[in-house]
Amino acid sequence: MSGTQVSTPKEEAALIARIRSGDESAMGDLYDRYSGVVYGVALRVLGNTTSAEDVVQEVFLQLWRNPQAFDVDRGRMAPWLAVIARNRSIDLLRKRPMEEDIDELPISTGVNLEDEAAQKIAADKVRAVMGQLPAEQRKALEMAYFEGLTHTEIAGRTGEPLGTVKTRIRSALMALRKAFA
Amino acid sequence: MNQHTQYADALALYAMDALDDPRELRELQEHLGTCGECRRELESLRADTALLAFSATGPKPPQRSRQRLMEAIAAEPRHVVKPKSRFVLGRLQSRWLALAPIAVSVILAIISIGLMQESLRLRNKNEKLTAELVDMRSKSQLAREVMDMINDPSLPRMTLVGVKTPPQPQVRTIYKPEKGHVLLLANNLAQLPDDKVYELWLIPQQGAPMPAGTFTPDSKGGTMMMHAMETEGIQAKAFAVTVEPRGGSREPTSEIMMEPAS
Repeated sequence: MSGTQVSTPKEEAALIARIRSGDESAMGDLYDRYSGVVYGVALRVLGNTTSAEDVVQEVFLQLWRNPQAFDVDRGRMAPWLAVIARNRSIDLLRKRPMEEDIDELPISTGVNLEDEAAQKIAADKVRAVMGQLPAEQRKALEMAYFEGLTHTEIAGRTGEPLGTVKTRIRSALMALRKAFA
Repeated sequence: MNQHTQYADALALYAMDALDDPRELRELQEHLGTCGECRRELESLRADTALLAFSATGPKPPQRSRQRLMEAIAAEPRHVVKPKSRFVLGRLQSRWLALAPIAVSVILAIISIGLMQESLRLRNKNEKLTAELVDMRSKSQLAREVMDMINDPSLPRMTLVGVKTPPQPQVRTIYKPEKGHVLLLANNLAQLPDDKVYELWLIPQQGAPMPAGTFTPDSKGGTMMMHAMETEGIQAKAFAVTVEPRGGSREPTSEIMMEPAS
């Protein structure tokens, strides 16, 4: 992933148009821009480089097979791929068959993620916010998002009431949102 | 989200697929089918979780990963040209039989694309139908409540008649105190100016009349109204009707024009 490449909505639209036309080099460009996002998320969830590579392959191949799944008018590529990478990784972690259809809801964060520098700034900021959260809030959120546990499973593991787990997860997400408001 | 706070925590879990209580899941999905505000909040929550995913970015995949992907892409079939749909009767020549596996692959690819598009279409349709189903359930519930109240002989009924001259306007009320529901059925009502409405009042055992809904008659002077009182369990001594400014009043501002028949 080159640190100088910028992905504006217009550039993303052009890239997707090239992929739709069957231009294999466009997939190379897409990979160079976003493989770090996909791989990082997969590695965080799976903790295993081989499995994380498999997720990278799967996500990009699905996009090659079905480029219409990404709607350039309704969201940005980087957060969309990050969420897909997380969901596919959780599927693998929980030994569920991976979704064959890449179609996911659009993600519009309103946060500048246009180039690698902006993405790094955002990632550092999220990590800082997470570091400032009460430990039990951070733990509950990470168990749900990066370990793919349900709130019942989290309550079972932590010994906390279900309602407490739910409230902690939402409070943590709200703190994250507030930091980027 | 102010009026939907009961769903706030569940929505956050739903955004990351961590809500596993079937009842809560069903209720939330039904609510999402009708509530645009909560659907927008769900999108915002998904964006919040996308930021969370970003906290994991940093490590780069090994170089072989790119090579592996490009090789896999090169091996993938692309750009399927849909042939004209035509059935051919007769025996296949042997040279055409050799192409049969390719033809089958092409047909399967076309079917797959068709099914994918159909899946997307059905998903959109499903969301629309869910919203319609919830709306129908809501209307059905109201209809059931109306029928229950009409058929329940134990509920207090009053017939209000015009105080003055015929043709007598008539208003019937059926009141369910434990739920605070008032059903009103009226006919022969006189038409009102555009800036006026009829207002029903619940006269409690003690205290001032309480507003129990406004209504206007149709062109034949009839109407039906179902009103939920702000408080449940109020014991009604009587009901009365006044004419009020459009929008209704918190207390009667005109003389009672209809009251319980003696």
